[in-house]
Amino acid sequence: MANLIELKDIYKIYGEGLESEVRALDGVSLTVERGEFVAIVGQSGSGKSTMMNVLGCLDIPTRGDYLLEGTDVKELTDKELSRIRNKEIGFIFQQYNLIQSLTVLENVELPLIYQGINADDRYDMALEALDRVGLSKRVKHKPTEMSGGQQQRVAIARAIATKPPIIMADEPTGALDSRTGHEVLEFLQQLNREGTTVILITHDNGIAATARRCVRLTDGKIVEDKQQEVDWL
Amino acid sequence: MNIRQAVKMAWKSIIGKKGRSMLTMLGVIIGIAAVMTIVSVMSGYAAKTMEQFSAMGSNKITVNVYSYVYTEDENGNMVPAGRDYFPDLYAYCKSIPQYIVGITPEAYASVNVVYGTKNSANFEWSWDEMGNMTGQRPPDVYYVSNQYSTCNNLTITKGRDLGELDIERYNQVCVLGSQAAEAFFDAADPVGKVLQLNGQSFEVVGVYAPRITGSDAQGSTIDNIILLPYTARRLLGGDRIESFIVKAKDGVSTTEVATRIRGFLKGLVDPATGDSYVSPDDRWQQSMNEQMGMISLVLGGIAAISLLVGGIGIMNIMLVTVTERTREIGIRRAIGAQRSSIVTQFLIEAAMLCGIGGIIGIAIGTLGCYVAGNLLFHMTIYPSASVTAGALGFSVLLGLIFGSYPAIKASKLQPVEALRAE
Repeated sequence: MANLIELKDIYKIYGEGLESEVRALDGVSLTVERGEFVAIVGQSGSGKSTMMNVLGCLDIPTRGDYLLEGTDVKELTDKELSRIRNKEIGFIFQQYNLIQSLTVLENVELPLIYQGINADDRYDMALEALDRVGLSKRVKHKPTEMSGGQQQRVAIARAIATKPPIIMADEPTGALDSRTGHEVLEFLQQLNREGTTVILITHDNGIAATARRCVRLTDGKIVEDKQQEVDWL
Repeated sequence: MNIRQAVKMAWKSIIGKKGRSMLTMLGVIIGIAAVMTIVSVMSGYAAKTMEQFSAMGSNKITVNVYSYVYTEDENGNMVPAGRDYFPDLYAYCKSIPQYIVGITPEAYASVNVVYGTKNSANFEWSWDEMGNMTGQRPPDVYYVSNQYSTCNNLTITKGRDLGELDIERYNQVCVLGSQAAEAFFDAADPVGKVLQLNGQSFEVVGVYAPRITGSDAQGSTIDNIILLPYTARRLLGGDRIESFIVKAKDGVSTTEVATRIRGFLKGLVDPATGDSYVSPDDRWQQSMNEQMGMISLVLGGIAAISLLVGGIGIMNIMLVTVTERTREIGIRRAIGAQRSSIVTQFLIEAAMLCGIGGIIGIAIGTLGCYVAGNLLFHMTIYPSASVTAGALGFSVLLGLIFGSYPAIKASKLQPVEALRAE
């Protein structure tokens, strides 16, 4: 079986050829297998967010091949890429990225709507996801009426509602205090124990240390890639 | 994503910004209301005008049977050669009542009318600058058949109508239109009285009811008529009558009737001395339709421009909405919305905005028809179902047309760039 994720010599260059050209990713190669918990750590500007955008099929690399489950994403149409983002990957963002005009339930239902699931099943699935993050009692609220930690839990519920095999989290604790941040981390660890592949982007070495594998980026290049002992398994 | 979901989303977004949605719709509302009012009022006006035409008698066909060879009669006067074909024509028309209601000569008789001290030669009349007539015009005297009244929607109110026997027996009788009756007899009953026409005595046997009453009758001379049997021409003089009016039955094509009469005359008229000419008389309707068409075109053009402006307003606001909701679009794309889903969402939002605007416009337009109809024509006009359905369909179409550019623009955003937007 092909590796889950395989990056081969990926470049993402802004303003290529200009004097001001920026190499956000500068020849990155990386392989991630199913069930891994990978932290991608680096300073701001190291290219880690670009890495997540490429991995999440949100951005197209300038050069290089990205094989997702053996499929070259370059060959995929918008429809197929949308399907991958919808079914294969759950995103968790630093700024939660909830739609403010929708209620908690509607936000969590959104990826299921794009899957074309009927209203009854959708409701059950969204409620199940919200139940897992402990928010099943607040489904009618708008995101603005909730704390940051609660909003991030809604975002997590949205990410796991479709039961994707991969979770990508971009600084999920960045906007939270340490206690709620810790809760989010524990939740990701729980998902990983259940078999979900987790890719965690962070600038925080402490958080990176809790991952089973740590990939360090500096100036768009991988400078370190090591397996780590963790206490939560 | 199915349409129902998209409609739900669009509704939420419209309701979420009521004030702006209302302002956006204003252009469409005004445009649709204007179109509705104009179209309905114009068709109401056309109906009213047609009513007036049919009061004078529509479905008419003009028949001319003429000679182009003249001979001298026993008195040395030049008269048309060949015989008078009218009796044959009259009999033919009578034989096909399923097509023809009646036929009559319509020839002006130049005669002087006298009753007691009243002499039509001494009548005086004038028009003021408003076109209103003052004084009394001499009546129009016509040589007609007994079917003139049927052809011209005249009904007897006193006495009797002209009959076939009056014509056959050269009876010296006449029937008066309501205005002519009033001119010579005021309020008295004219039936049985005797008029002097060019010195010959003619007994009034009947009076017709007025065809136009009230303010419409102002300046009209349509009922200022005296009808004589056409055989009275022998006594009073005048050229042989060559022009006739045929009235077709309601619902029968005048073109078809004209074709039949043409066929009949072709076998009848001697081509060596004469010829015939038959034409359905819809000139009035035609020129009326042309006029209405012009007015509709101008007013419709103005309404179309206002709709265009309304549509551009929709496009403008939708573009703003797309910009405002760039991040939302990014989020939707990140969690699996296809380009087509984004296009659908924004298109449906635009179409719904216009559709709702259209419905409000239709409501206002209906009210406009009611008010304008009552003020202008004293009649209650409601927009027809087809106009209403058309207006609604058009407004939705407007939304789809002007919503497509913003919608496509929204779908072209790269997810990562859209997510970066504030």
